[in-house]
Order: sequence, then C-alpha cells, then structure tokens
Amino acid sequence: VTPSEGAGGGTRRELEMESVLALGGLVLLRDSVEWEGRTLLKALIKKSALCGEQVHILGCEVSEDEFREGFDSSINSRLIYHDLFRDPLNWSQTGETLPGGPLGALQAMCRRTHPGPVTIALDSLSWLLLHIPCTSLCQALGALSRQHAHPGGGSPAEPLRVLGLLHEELHGPGPLGALSSLAQTEVTLSGTVGQASAHILSRRPRQRPAHQTQWFSILPDFSLDLQGGPPLESQPHADPHTASVDPTAHVTFNLHLSKKEREAKDSLTLPFQFSSEKQQALLRPGPGQATGRIFYEPDAYDDLDQEDPDDDLDV
Amino acid sequence: MAAVATCGTGAGSTGSIAAAASKNNVTSFQRKGPRASGTDSGCSRLVSIAGTRPSVRNGQLLVSTGLPALDQLLGGGLAVGTVLLIEEDKYNIYSSLVFKYFLAEGIINGHTLLVASVKEDPADILQELPAPLLDDNCKKDFDEDVCNDKTPDSNIKMKIAWRYQLLPKMESGPVSSSRFGHYYDASKRMPQELIEASKWHGFFFPEKLSSTNIESCSLTHGYRKLLQFIQNVIYEEGFDGSSPQKKQKNILRIGIQSLGSPLWGDDICCTENCDNSHSLTKFLYVLRGLLRTSLSACIITMPTHLIQNKAVIARVTNLSDTVVGLESFIGSERETNPLYKDYHGLIHIRQIPRLNNLIYDVSDVKDLAFKLKRKLFTIEGSYCIFVLTAAKARELQQGSSHVIL
Repeated sequence: VTPSEGAGGGTRRELEMESVLALGGLVLLRDSVEWEGRTLLKALIKKSALCGEQVHILGCEVSEDEFREGFDSSINSRLIYHDLFRDPLNWSQTGETLPGGPLGALQAMCRRTHPGPVTIALDSLSWLLLHIPCTSLCQALGALSRQHAHPGGGSPAEPLRVLGLLHEELHGPGPLGALSSLAQTEVTLSGTVGQASAHILSRRPRQRPAHQTQWFSILPDFSLDLQGGPPLESQPHADPHTASVDPTAHVTFNLHLSKKEREAKDSLTLPFQFSSEKQQALLRPGPGQATGRIFYEPDAYDDLDQEDPDDDLDV
Repeated sequence: MAAVATCGTGAGSTGSIAAAASKNNVTSFQRKGPRASGTDSGCSRLVSIAGTRPSVRNGQLLVSTGLPALDQLLGGGLAVGTVLLIEEDKYNIYSSLVFKYFLAEGIINGHTLLVASVKEDPADILQELPAPLLDDNCKKDFDEDVCNDKTPDSNIKMKIAWRYQLLPKMESGPVSSSRFGHYYDASKRMPQELIEASKWHGFFFPEKLSSTNIESCSLTHGYRKLLQFIQNVIYEEGFDGSSPQKKQKNILRIGIQSLGSPLWGDDICCTENCDNSHSLTKFLYVLRGLLRTSLSACIITMPTHLIQNKAVIARVTNLSDTVVGLESFIGSERETNPLYKDYHGLIHIRQIPRLNNLIYDVSDVKDLAFKLKRKLFTIEGSYCIFVLTAAKARELQQGSSHVIL
C-alpha cells in the first residue's frame, strides 16, 4: 500500500481500516450510482488475499473475466470464483452451474470444511435480494456468521468475513434495515467532488457502535490509499449543538440568586424555627422511645371487636 | 396533640398499633404479622411462590422484571400470565440488557427459564447474565454510586425539617436476596454455579430449522415450532396445574429475543405488504392464551423500528399486555444535546394493562429517561423537556437564528 500524506497519520488510518476488516462477520458495502463500491470490494479482496486467506467470490453481476481484470496472477490464483452470472437459471444444462440456484450456492458456502481464515465476497447482495426472498437471505447470512463462531469440527474462533456489496438505491427501507441489523460493519460510500469517503459504522458485540469517516482513493492496481481529508475546503458546517443550549436562559422565573439576595434569604427567620436549645429540648424525648405515638380515644360508634376485618391482609 | 387515653377493652387491637415499634420503623402503624399456624392456610389465599408478591392495588400476583425502577413504573412488577413487550432500540444494546436482567432475576429467585432466540445460542445468553448485587460487599459501592451529591448527615443542615433529623434514614439500596427486586452489576457475570443450579430450556431456531428441509420454510413454521415447544414445557413441568403438584409451585419465565426479525422467517421487517402479515399477530394471540392458563410470565423483544407497516405495530401493541419502548441516543443528534448528556436514552411506556381493574396504574411523569451506570439502571423523569419547549417557543417568537432541537 502506498504511503499517504503523513507517515504517522497514515499508519493510524491503516490501523483503523484494518480494524474494520478484523471485526469479522458481515461487512456491508453500501454504494450508489455516484459512488460505486465494486472497486472498494476488489481492494478489500486483494488485501485479504495478500494476507494469505482463502477468498471465495460469488459473482452475480459481472462476468468472471471482468471481475478478475486488474488483479495480478498471484492474487488470481487465490480467488475461488463461483459463477452465477453466466447461467443463473441453468438453461444450458451443462452441469457447470451451481446446484440449487442462488440460495443453494449461498448455503453451499456455509458448508465449507477448509480450515483457516476465509473471506467470502458476495457480488452483489442486491442481485441476491432480487432473486431470493429477503428472509431466506437473512437466514443464510446468519448461518454464515454462526459458522464463524462455531465451525464444524474446526478450531474455535476462525475468522470468517463476508463482504457484501449492496446498491442501496435499489431497495426500500425494509430490506436495507434488515440487512443493516445483521451486519457487524456497515460502510457507506459517499464523497465530495473527486474524493471518495467511506462512513464506517462498526458494531462490536455488546458495545456501543462506533462511527468514523475515512477518505480514500483506490489506485489502478486495487491498492487502498487512505487519506486525511478532502482536497477542497468543504468543511461540514458546525453542529448547531456545539453552540451550547442553556435551558435556563429564557425562563420566566429567577433561577439564580445574587449575593445580597442570598444573604437576605439566609437571615430570614422561618416560623417554627426555634433556637437550638428549644430544638434539642423538643427532640430529646425522641430517641428513647418509639418514634411516634398515636393516642386514640374510641368513641361510641367504634367497632372494637377482636374479629378485625382486615386480618387477612398478609401483604 | 390528641387526648391521652388508652381504652381498656380495645387493648387487643390498639395495643398492637402502639406497642410494637421495631427499630427501623418510621410510622406507628403496624400490620399484623401472620397469625398462629392454625389459620395460615386460611388467610393466605394467594399462592406463596418464591420471587412473587401480590399487587397492593388489585391483588394480582406479580414478579419482578429485574429492574426495580421499571417495576415501579409498571405498578409494582409484571403480572404473572402477561406479556412484556420491549421495543428494541436501534442497535439492540439496552433491550438485550433488559432481557438479561429479566432472566437473571429468574435465576436468583429459582424460577424456571425458557429462552428462545435466533441470533445467539441460549446457552451463550445465559453465560452473559449480569451478576447480582448482594448485601454486604456491595452496599458501600452502591452508596458511593448513588449518594455522591447527598449532603452529610448533620444536625445543622436540616433548617426547616429539624424535627426529622434524628429519624433513621430510609433504606434505598440493595438488600438481601429475599426481597422482591434485585440489583445487578452489568460489568460482572453471574457466577457459574448459580446458572448450573437453575433449570432452563433453550430454543435456538436455526437448529430446529436445519433439521428440516433446506428450502425456505413457511412463514408460520418458526412460530409454530416455538409455540409447540412452550406448550410442551408448560404441560410437562406442570405450570398449568395439569399434573398434580407434588412439589412446590414455581413460575416459568419465558424470554423470546428479536421476535419478528427476518431470522425467524417472518418478513414484516422486510416489506410493507407481506404475504403472511398475520403470523406474528396469531403467534402473540396464542402465546397470550398459553400464558393466561399457566403460572408464567414472558418478555419479548421486538425490533419494531424495522417493521414497515405501522398497522402491524398497532396490532402487536394491542395483543401484548405491557409495552415499553426503548430509544437510545447513540448515533442520533440527541447524543450531543447538552440536555440529554446525563442520560443514555428515553423510555416510552406505551401500554399498561388493566388486569381485574377499571383504572390504569400509570406514573405521573411521562418523559422518562434512563441511564445505565455500571451497577445501576435508573429511570428518571426528564423534566428539562418542559424548559426546552418553553425556550424554543420564545426563540421562535423572537425570530432568532439559532435552531434548538
């Protein structure tokens, strides 16, 4: 990865981006027409392949040749491509297509038995959402992330990463919300003129989710170049809440006392505020006896029999 | 001062009032203790099960939700035989915590648990329950948590209420495990021996799913299996009184996590016009029937922020008994609002049931906010909202350029 502007800053940004990938689970890449995400997906795939992981790709939207274009041969040899683009409905009956259709292909990926860290890239989740019901897709993705936690017979805590590309303009709020709730990390692509940014929301289990915005660009060989900020001076306008909101500013009653007012208040004698001797005299019988006594004089109409009607109150 | 007199004939009833004054008593009225053993079965008509108490308002049997602050808002606790629906907050942090408090309370009281979930294995959920705060070692930590700003106890301080300065302080902290609601330390885990000593049943839906065919299951499949599971547990363990009770009666605490999410096979979170829009409502209806005829209480967390059809949310609310919504400030613009800086989110009490009653048991304060400190989950009325709206109205009148949310 080529160094970015400041060396120290670059390392820190690298670490942040690394932490995004290290989290495991489902990483949702949300792109749109203006800011496409397939190049970022390929950059992340290249990063994983360089780390020595096994990469499975479920390709649905572009052909295999187009997807492999730009990768050099060492990386291409590490990618295992499952092709759903050429013949998704198995019309050619050649037996090369994946059995079970898209859902079967996805579930077959759950049943991998190869040990070692694995990255699965889904290109794209939008295509899958259009072809299989949303609930089945969510259940399959859930099964994939559970494979991460309890792999069948393998060593514990094998990181499994699922990178899913989602075109957010194609779907309504329902499927987007459902997939967001399943994702451990959500990367939303946007940017200003000439500079792409990724807004990363990472949800660690049982911790508060963390937001960060990362400006980046992708080089022709699909290396990730992380940058500090946008080149032009397009600062986001100041948060209106940084101008501190004082709720006591415009009330109709006086919340603050001046010194003179405070002195006047303290010197006021209240009724029933006796001198301290009288206070002690009144208080002294207190601690010895019961804290209060009730003196009751029954009158003629009182019912004083032993059969108390409330005696079954056993609360 | 009343006239001094003690009546001779009435010494039996009034004597018990005036004479017996225990050390911690602040009133002179005493309830009569339980009578001699001969009348025990007669006067205690309510079942005395561990961890329950009858409501003081309508006699309904209540269990604690695990959060004493929430118990107070719900009128003393959750009634046995009812459903508590928690509307999840956006990132499901606080709702899963409330869920765990409910289960932890069940373990402390010795109730049987039934945990149903889709994302996490029930065994893992039970491992993450918070540890209970018991008397001795934690009282001082609790006191320092709460009483940071309380003035020290000195005779000079009470200027106006000086007559009360010698009275003992009211207890506001956690007490021993025989009490109704318990406090929990969210940073520690429940000890393993308590979990193993408890009885629990787990329902992890993906396991049941994989045992059947591979293709996508029909919508009511997951709910139907869950209902069958609950019914079996209730019947076999005798919570509905069907088998003769040789042993002590007990409460079944049911916890269902993320009901309605797509992982259950239900698509109400995915589309607005779903095919089987009634499966969730049917499930809640049947579940309520099962609960009403057995000694059980249920907590359900539901991601209502994902449900697209508002009519479904209204129906779900009507079919549940108590509905509490949690809204956390994480990620929203309120996180930086200085008014909310002490709190972590808002609590909305959407519905409280009327059980054997003509009136509701609502609290006076409607703007409730919660905050989660390490050992305490407090719910307070956030009165500052009143001040904010008055200030905002004034600002708008004067045409100021600031915008206050």
